[in-house]
Amino acid sequence: MAAPRKAAVILKAVKKISVQFCPFESNVRSTREFLAMVGSEKVRATNMNCEVTSIVTHDKSEPVVDITYVDGERLLMKGAKLTSAEMLSAFQSRCTAKDTQTIGGGKK
Amino acid sequence: MAATLCAKLLPKQGWLPLSVSVRHGSKAVTRHRRPQHILKKKLLAVTEYIPPTRDAPPGAYPHQIKRGQEECTGLMLLIKEDLKKVFQDYKMIAVVQNNNSNTDDMLTLRHRLHKHGISVKFFPNQVMHLFLGDSIYGSMAPLFIGPTVLFVSKTPKLREMLSTLRVSPQMTLLGACIDNTLLSVQGVLHYSKLPSMTVVQGELVSGLTMLTSHTVSVLQRHPGQLSALLQQYIKQQSSETTSEAKTESAT
Repeated sequence: MAAPRKAAVILKAVKKISVQFCPFESNVRSTREFLAMVGSEKVRATNMNCEVTSIVTHDKSEPVVDITYVDGERLLMKGAKLTSAEMLSAFQSRCTAKDTQTIGGGKK
Repeated sequence: MAATLCAKLLPKQGWLPLSVSVRHGSKAVTRHRRPQHILKKKLLAVTEYIPPTRDAPPGAYPHQIKRGQEECTGLMLLIKEDLKKVFQDYKMIAVVQNNNSNTDDMLTLRHRLHKHGISVKFFPNQVMHLFLGDSIYGSMAPLFIGPTVLFVSKTPKLREMLSTLRVSPQMTLLGACIDNTLLSVQGVLHYSKLPSMTVVQGELVSGLTMLTSHTVSVLQRHPGQLSALLQQYIKQQSSETTSEAKTESAT
């Protein structure tokens, strides 16, 4: 599977994660795996204020992951043609970048 | 190598010295591996020839058997039988994805659902796909990806199930199969909002008998009132026909 070997995703800079998909479509696998990985206990324990919501629809829409950060930035990932590993790595890199920014800003 | 002889020891011809010092050099071709200088060894290792891998000619090997068909273990067949029974016995089967549940959460969920007669079942996805491929429920196959749980019950108690799921944040309802009909999440919500069978039957019967009961009530009134009503009705009818005729002649 695509479980990250290093430390799990740090959600400190994340306000809300919303995952929307239609389970009867065939391109939903990566989004569901992403949801499973992001919603796991370890990852949620890094930030208890972060909400992870999943919306299940039946309108043949594309699977979409909408992440809202604490500073108002939004990351939109369309999971139809992405693998869960790609989505996770992109998300992780953004999170760590935000985290280091906030740490650097705090220290200054 | 050349055998060197001390020139001083051979003053006269034909006189061999007592000891002859001969230097033998090493040979190039030996029966054992000659020790090589480490640099030469490294160079040879780096510049080794690696031949390109060519595929086997097209007709050399028979086609690989498709995976999944040949890997049926006995345990999987047993679980498949179990699944068949579940689908036969239970009328309502809901598929839920749980991203992360502690044992505590699972216990509380199971307890709440058990009160309403809903049981929680786990089956491996592989076996599920095997079973669904053979049975009539093939369209449920795309639901079973990732960590899934089955909520099964003999009576479709949807409202309680939905309320319990709303409380637990990590469970996501994906779909349900109620009375051999596949329903999506919206379908499940609509189904839960439907009134019960008796209520629906009552409504239908009342709607059908409304007209007849109305005529019965009219007929049961005082005959004077009834005759007045009928006369009024005839007047209305005649006025309608005259107005229709007028409009026809106008057009």
